[in-house]
Amino acid sequence: MTDQLTPAQHIRLWNDFRQGSQDAFSQLYELFSADLYRYGYNLVRNRQLVEDCLHELFLHLHDSRAKLGPTDNIRFYLYRSLRRRLLDTVARLNKLDSEDYIFDKAEFLVQPYERSLIEEQLVDQQKALLIGELNKLPKRQKEILYLVYMKGLTYAQAAEVMDITLKSVYNTINVALTTLRVHVRTAFEQRGALLSLLGAVFGYLTKI
Amino acid sequence: MPYPAFTVDDFCKDPDFIRWVLTPTEESNRFWQDFMATYPHKVADVRNAVEYVKSIRFQEIEPSPQDMARLKQRIWNDIDKSARNSERLTHPFQNVSRQEIRWYQRPYWAAAAVVLLVMSVGLGWWAYQANAHLTYETAYGNVQEIKLADGSTVTLNANSTLKVGDNLAGSSVREVWLTGEAYFDIAKRKGAKFIVHTPEAKVEVLGTEFNVNTRREQTNVVLNEGKVQLSTNDQSTVVMKPGDMAIVSPKNRNIQLKRVQPDLYDAWKESYLILDGKSLPEIISSLEDTFGVTIKLDDQQLTNKTLTGKLRTEVVEDCIDNLAIILDAEVKKSGDTYSFR
Repeated sequence: MTDQLTPAQHIRLWNDFRQGSQDAFSQLYELFSADLYRYGYNLVRNRQLVEDCLHELFLHLHDSRAKLGPTDNIRFYLYRSLRRRLLDTVARLNKLDSEDYIFDKAEFLVQPYERSLIEEQLVDQQKALLIGELNKLPKRQKEILYLVYMKGLTYAQAAEVMDITLKSVYNTINVALTTLRVHVRTAFEQRGALLSLLGAVFGYLTKI
Repeated sequence: MPYPAFTVDDFCKDPDFIRWVLTPTEESNRFWQDFMATYPHKVADVRNAVEYVKSIRFQEIEPSPQDMARLKQRIWNDIDKSARNSERLTHPFQNVSRQEIRWYQRPYWAAAAVVLLVMSVGLGWWAYQANAHLTYETAYGNVQEIKLADGSTVTLNANSTLKVGDNLAGSSVREVWLTGEAYFDIAKRKGAKFIVHTPEAKVEVLGTEFNVNTRREQTNVVLNEGKVQLSTNDQSTVVMKPGDMAIVSPKNRNIQLKRVQPDLYDAWKESYLILDGKSLPEIISSLEDTFGVTIKLDDQQLTNKTLTGKLRTEVVEDCIDNLAIILDAEVKKSGDTYSFR
């Protein structure tokens, strides 16, 4: 959520860059490099590898800017390129050696959320349970949640970034929401009743 | 399905809704406020859905500003370099104009090739004779690639010696002894260890790629791929991961480990020295080791300089000339000593 650009701004920045603006290239770096780094580091827990792939990625962007297609979501476009580059490199490294690789430890870890209504409602134990359940999801499912719920990609974009079908994205979202529901429902429902009442009052007040 | 009929789950799955939670804009705020005002019975569902979406948070590791600055510098450096390459084809240290002459059209190259051929035939013959305990030695300015009997490849840097143990292909422990510097690409063999002995330590491997440098009274091991175990002569041991560099020196028998970029340490195989932020004294040590020359810095200000880029190290004269151009310094040669001013 680092970039607050509208789709129109994305299109303009990307087009300026493709037409050779050095300024636009710098802006791309400033806006997206740290965010790409975070995503990359969640994919493979290896800073050097992430840095090297980002280095290659930005050089490639710069050198072939005239040949790139249009986009209205630069982040999606860059995520896809970085992910492919990283996984190709890891695959190449793994092929050369069947020993276990440090990259296997890469994880998307769900973390405790802050200042939320749920937090007030749930006892710590329940909260830990919920995080534990979400963390138990396979890495690829967590990656889908990460792309959709933290980075705001659409389902189609997430599917394309990860080279999977739209259906797997839907399925994963369903699994995650079920997990959430099971662990939070009770607390929510109590809260929910109160909120409905407040909502009704609020609605009534705004109408008069 | 229209929003008024949405359940909490439906909201959570709606991309527009998610985008509003993640990056609210004036427009989307207005839309959802209007929506809640119009459908008060949905307010609780919307609030709950917001909480659900917000609760899916992942840990993120923030890159350090130094990391990002270094990355930016690397990218911009390379962009400048490629821009220079395409603009100034005849710039002296790009060597581009010279590349148009085939290597065999250059007299000293042809001579070198003949010498190398004679040397390798001689060495091959000698190696064949001394089959029991093979020893390979490289002269200054010479890099040699060696295929071992077990299928492994060793690239031996200049001024280095590699002794190979008996019956490499057949025995269960493959052993070699190294002084100088070499890059090892070890063929995998079930159960057969490969051990590189250096004056300070030994490196045990099962099949991998790594660089070993024993110059200047210390052993440096840089691991590119796989896994190796490094033990010093007094038995302290570490297991190295790809990208680790281990340093063992007689002064300090504890093994120092640090993270490095492996390709900076084996570029010598392609007759390059990658400078990336190395200080001038470091660069000079490396050139002295490779060419067997002495390089002096008469201007003390030069010692503080660090350089970035690639330096071709094929021919000692060209290499020194290029270094002088980069440093904007003058070079004087007397015998095997070069002085920079």
